[in-house]
Parts: sequence; structure tokens; C-alpha cells
Amino acid sequence: MTNPYAAERQISHSVENMAEKDAELGFKKETVSKLLSSSFKEDKTRLSGDAALLMAELLKVFVQEAAVRSQKQAESEDCDQVDIEHFEKILPQLLLDF
Amino acid sequence: MSVDNDETQQRLKAAVHYTVGRLCQRMGEDHRREFSRQVIAAIAETAFRQCDIFAKDLEAFARHAKRSTVSSEDVKLVARRSTALSIYIQNKSEELNEEQRDLKKKNAGKRKSRDTEEESRE
Repeated sequence: MTNPYAAERQISHSVENMAEKDAELGFKKETVSKLLSSSFKEDKTRLSGDAALLMAELLKVFVQEAAVRSQKQAESEDCDQVDIEHFEKILPQLLLDF
Repeated sequence: MSVDNDETQQRLKAAVHYTVGRLCQRMGEDHRREFSRQVIAAIAETAFRQCDIFAKDLEAFARHAKRSTVSSEDVKLVARRSTALSIYIQNKSEELNEEQRDLKKKNAGKRKSRDTEEESRE
């Protein structure tokens, strides 16, 4: 069973590293807005500008977590490249952590 | 129409896939362990699907607060499961608020100086 506290450390690691190389790489506010809006059940539901920006950040962390955990899995199996099996192994815990 | 909707969804998926690809590329370079195309596609697909879950949660939270507009408070709730993530989102939210306060001050300052200019001309 995966150590639940490991997840905390991992996400913490991810957000710390982001401060260093934030750059401009990330999800666009408009894309996130359209993406989320398309899943709203009611027509009247809107997304504030700030909420869209924050969700863009959240998504970015999500992707980075998925990526870094897959890399660590590949590393633990002595593989040079991150392959689908590595991603599949970390996916359940990733979804539980979010 | 469902056809338009499919097209929109495809375009959104493509946009997500693009950003995921760029993020994975950089992380691959940083950690010297690159991602197969299949993994990038899988991460993109997962992120896309996760958005559906996030959106429904956000809508439910807003509705619970008797609002029809999803706010940053709702986003903070969505990020509640991980302490580190929660703190990160809270900090980003505060950053955004500070930026907006600074902008307001700047604009108020501009208006004041314009007013005093007009006064002195009169």
C-alpha cells in the first residue's frame, strides 16, 4: 500500500519546483474556461476570471504531478524512458490524491 | 448542435494535448528522462477527463453557496485534498488579489493626477 504521506511530499515537491521555472508554460485562461464551462450542467453557471486562472494553475500542477511520478516510477524500474506501464502504475494514487 | 460540440471538444482536447506535451518536454529535459508519445497522450487524456470532474465539483460548490458564478473560493475547495496544493492555490489567489489592488491604486492615482491637472488649468 502506498504511503499516504508520500503523496504530500510529492505534491509539495512539485509546487516548490514550479516557483523556479514557472516561465509562461501553462494552460491558457481561455482554454481552461471553455473546458470547464463545457462540463457545467446548468446554462447559467459561469466561471469568474480569477477562478479560471487558479484552475489553470491547478491543472498545471496535476499534469506535473502525473509526469514526475511517472518519471520516478520509470527510475525505480531502471528504465531510460517513461512508458505507459509507468504511468498506469501511478495513476490510481494520483487520482486519489486529487 | 452536437457536431459543433464535438468539434469544440476536439479542439479543446488538442489544446490540452499541446500544453501537456510542452510541459512533459521540459520535465523530460530537466530530469533527463523523456516521455513516450503514448504517455503524453495518456496524461493529456487524464487531465481532460479530470476537468470534467473538477467542473462538476466547482458547479456544485458554487450552487451550495447560492451563486451562479464559480469563484476562487470554490477552486480552493477543489484543491482541499492535498495540504501543499491547498496552500499553493491559496497563495496564487492572494497574488491575484494583490495584483488587482495594485491596478486599482494605479488607476485611482491616474484619475487623481488628471483631476488636479484640470483644476490647475481652471
